[in-house]
Amino acid sequence: MEPRLAALVIEGLKRARVRFVVGLPDSMLAGVYVAAGKDPDIKYVAVTNEAEGASVAAGAWITGGRSVLVMENSGLRAACEALSRLGLVNGIPVTMLMGYRGDLGERFHWGVNHGMTMEPILKALRIPYWIIDDEEQIITAITRAVIHGISSLYHTAVIFRTPLVDEGK
Amino acid sequence: MKRYELLKELAKLVTDQDLVVTSIGGVKPEWYSLMPGNGTMFADLLGCATPFSLGVALNLPHRRVVALDTDGGMLFNLGALCTVGKESPPNLTIIVLDNERYEGVVGGPPTHTSGRADLERMASAAGIPCTATAKTIENFVQSATMMLSDNKTGLMVAKIEPGVFKDIPPERAKESDGIEDKYRFLRHIEQLEKISIRPRYVRE
Repeated sequence: MEPRLAALVIEGLKRARVRFVVGLPDSMLAGVYVAAGKDPDIKYVAVTNEAEGASVAAGAWITGGRSVLVMENSGLRAACEALSRLGLVNGIPVTMLMGYRGDLGERFHWGVNHGMTMEPILKALRIPYWIIDDEEQIITAITRAVIHGISSLYHTAVIFRTPLVDEGK
Repeated sequence: MKRYELLKELAKLVTDQDLVVTSIGGVKPEWYSLMPGNGTMFADLLGCATPFSLGVALNLPHRRVVALDTDGGMLFNLGALCTVGKESPPNLTIIVLDNERYEGVVGGPPTHTSGRADLERMASAAGIPCTATAKTIENFVQSATMMLSDNKTGLMVAKIEPGVFKDIPPERAKESDGIEDKYRFLRHIEQLEKISIRPRYVRE
């Protein structure tokens, strides 16, 4: 994601009063991790896997620190058990921002499977999500996802597809 | 040393201004029976106690946070040690209740800490500044007292005997589920910090 669009993501987070960003860096949203890490108003925590990230984000959220988890959509699979327990057992929301690896037109063979499983998993976990491809949607999608997480006490997701994300070469 | 005896000593060191996050397993009913207030989040996920408590500690840096993790929980999510080491919140103390087995599983099969795995050395190598292993109640109290007051991230492995305390009085038995636990902890934080986390109407 180019810096100009990553700045819109950061603006969306700030409008939603998110000051805690947990991430496992990936190529598609690379600009977001960099921007979050540099922003003095945001605490950025780099984690080692997405399940751990969901728990860190949940711990911040339940103590009043609105948080998001930023990751590649393959991370959804890694985080499934954590998300299931935190969401279904406790009702502690994790709002996720993901790049849509494996979208129609995916150029990497290894990325195709990410797209095949993302939406079925989101639906199986009953996680409301928004797939966006227009920069005009970025701020609105993020703020609404964060708000919905608080009101529903359940996870939400915003998925960024091309041309918003870098597909890599 | 027995877990319940250890927890009794810890309960003397923790105040109503501190926050505690527990792992799943026998620690939950035992800790609840000793500290039935709302300052504990009883996690329902293996491998969650340490990263969850890290999120709490980073978000509330002015408040002491204690994670009651287990050998099985820590082994499930070892990467979290490195994240704790990198962030090193000085207000976080992690206690790993290490009975060297999956006690909740029929037959209590061994965890890797029953062999060569040494969680204290892993924590130290992950960058956690203050680490210890306690094998007696006296060791435990000494290390816990120090870790709760030294303003450094601490991780203590407490080697405990297998077994669950069976004489919890009925009025001290934990009956709540994960949803009730969440609300109790969340509303406690709202009161403690004088903030609104989950209002009736959510504003941006």
